[in-house]
Amino acid sequence: MKKTGSFMGFIFILTVCLLAASFAFLPAHAQARDIKVGILDAYTGPAAVFANDALKAFKLALEEINKEGVLGKKIEFVTRDTKFKVDIGLNMAKELVMREDVDLIVGTINSGVALAVSDAISKKEKVPFIVWISKSENITGKKGHRYVFSTADNTAMGGRSGAYALSRKPYKTYWIAGDDYSYGHDLANTAWEKLKAAKPDVEKIGESWWKPGEPDLIPYLTNIMTAKPDAVIFCTGGLSMANVLKAVKTTGMAEKFPIWVHTATDHAVLKPLGADAPEGVMGTMHYHFYYPEIPENKAFVDAFKAAYGEPPGFPAFNAYVTAKLIAEAYRKAGAVDKEKFVDALEGLKVDTPIGMLEMRACDHQMVYPIFLGVTKKLPQYDFAVSSDIVTLPGTEMLPTCEEIQKARSAQ
Amino acid sequence: MELAQSLTLSNLGIHLLVGLSRAMILFIVASGLSFVLGVLRVPNVAHGSLYMIGAFSAFSIFNLFGGSPLGFWLALCLAPFVVALVGLVAERSLFCHLYEREHLMLLLFTFALMLILGDLVKIFWGSDYRSIMAPEVLRGSIPVLGSSFPKYNLFLLIIGPLVAIGLYFFTNKTKIGKIARAAAVDREMVGAIGINVSWVFAFAFVLGCFLAGLGGAMVAPTISISLGMDHDIVIETFLIVTIGGLGNMWGALIGSLIFGITQSFGVLFWPQFAIVFPYIAVVIVLIWKPTGMLKSVW
Repeated sequence: MKKTGSFMGFIFILTVCLLAASFAFLPAHAQARDIKVGILDAYTGPAAVFANDALKAFKLALEEINKEGVLGKKIEFVTRDTKFKVDIGLNMAKELVMREDVDLIVGTINSGVALAVSDAISKKEKVPFIVWISKSENITGKKGHRYVFSTADNTAMGGRSGAYALSRKPYKTYWIAGDDYSYGHDLANTAWEKLKAAKPDVEKIGESWWKPGEPDLIPYLTNIMTAKPDAVIFCTGGLSMANVLKAVKTTGMAEKFPIWVHTATDHAVLKPLGADAPEGVMGTMHYHFYYPEIPENKAFVDAFKAAYGEPPGFPAFNAYVTAKLIAEAYRKAGAVDKEKFVDALEGLKVDTPIGMLEMRACDHQMVYPIFLGVTKKLPQYDFAVSSDIVTLPGTEMLPTCEEIQKARSAQ
Repeated sequence: MELAQSLTLSNLGIHLLVGLSRAMILFIVASGLSFVLGVLRVPNVAHGSLYMIGAFSAFSIFNLFGGSPLGFWLALCLAPFVVALVGLVAERSLFCHLYEREHLMLLLFTFALMLILGDLVKIFWGSDYRSIMAPEVLRGSIPVLGSSFPKYNLFLLIIGPLVAIGLYFFTNKTKIGKIARAAAVDREMVGAIGINVSWVFAFAFVLGCFLAGLGGAMVAPTISISLGMDHDIVIETFLIVTIGGLGNMWGALIGSLIFGITQSFGVLFWPQFAIVFPYIAVVIVLIWKPTGMLKSVW
């Protein structure tokens, strides 16, 4: 009898505990909660260096924003690792929407993940999705829709800026080489199409395509140099970028041929190369921590350096702009509502470290000016930087709204 | 560029040289993998991770000496020993208990080890790209056959054969080398005549790791050292030891030459699709000689 009594007592206590626990969790949903951002990015593998750079700046921006709050709330975030894989990225995005109940998703360096999440989650579930590193022009181009935005620069801008820069040079024959995946080909196609339009007498004498991250580019470069083009266009990104510049330096290619590589002037590429970086390579980039030299940029760079001991890269800049946009859009919307948030983001202008920038309403693409420069070693830095910078206007480097509309309706 | 135009003797010559120098790196790494495969019968998928650790160690040693030429030479000499040490720890603590398991289990185990080592590298060195510089004498290029040929690749062309000769003397002229070779053919017999097979195995494994580390250190100045560099090399070296003949050191050399040279000539003949050439060569070899070019010890 006594045994049964203590057993019943145990059951009673257990029930009370469970009830208490469920009540403890209930108010969390009932009360007005903070704005919750779900961050989806590749935190493992070679791309992690860019994803972490973005995350750091996002945290930094939120610290500033949360001091005064947005609509009386704070902005909080949760992260999920895509491992640079589309299937994992999709599952993680679903988890963010279903389990974490996030108000919007941001992130991802992988264009494949970005396009898949944009299509299968953002569009279908009507969840706003801001892409912050992926550079595929399709994200806000032909695959764009109401709920997807991009604060990244894209291949359309890269190709156009390259064409703009090269069309002002006297070169006639070109060799195009790059990473054999969509980023490389998109960039090459846009650059060549626009260059040909601006200067019909240019001629492409050859192409080489290698697998992304190919460690040994010497045979490719040797082949290009024996073909003797007037200029060379490299369409590479990420890991291949550093490999290309290293091979350019080793073979002495930059001294013999004019070379344009989109993002060759990126600090993330030039810093690890140190004194090993080639000089005289033309590059285009939408952010440098050392340019433009204005107080707003300096303040951002100093804050980032103070927090993390290194200057911000372009992903950090993109993420910082993204955080500012999110806060401003909620303030403008006046409520934490997905539809109102999307409406507010369209055409929104925000103050950024490089000046006032606009989220273009027609395609949801952030309009960035492009800095065209040449790699150069300066005595005050132990790495190469972009020098002789010319600023190309952002709107001219983007497809027009009509072009976007045409591409989308063709889908 | 027209094909006929590209087919000049000097073009063929320079691409042959470039292909040969790439084959040297592949040979150094593949010979280590082949040695472990032959003697231990372990398909070590983590071999690429050891190559990556070799490259990262070379970076650390290079930086320890402030990026001086001395730092470079020390990195080249010491990084393989760092990797050998990692190999010794892994062999004595993990591998030595698993030799009797079937190949599938070993494959799973080494795959797990590859993921673990990859993450350890990330924890230890971070996810940034790293780079080291060859000393002044090996930088830049020299004119060869009317084209420029990187001096560092010339250096690779010297080191590769030296490693091959060293391995030849080791496996044929030293006692432990001979025992290792015998263990590759018939390990029961080696055990039966009273030789401590366990230590022979440990030694063979450590030598395999040393070669992976040497490959990593040698390749470091030509690429950006990064996470993920283990994946490509492990696929390439597995193909090389397969077409060369599993566990056969000279097979690894022949396989590397086939792989390196077809890649280089592929770029010359058809640069848009150069990626596929080495793999086509692999397919042809496997159809022609399914067990590889030379006698497999399996």
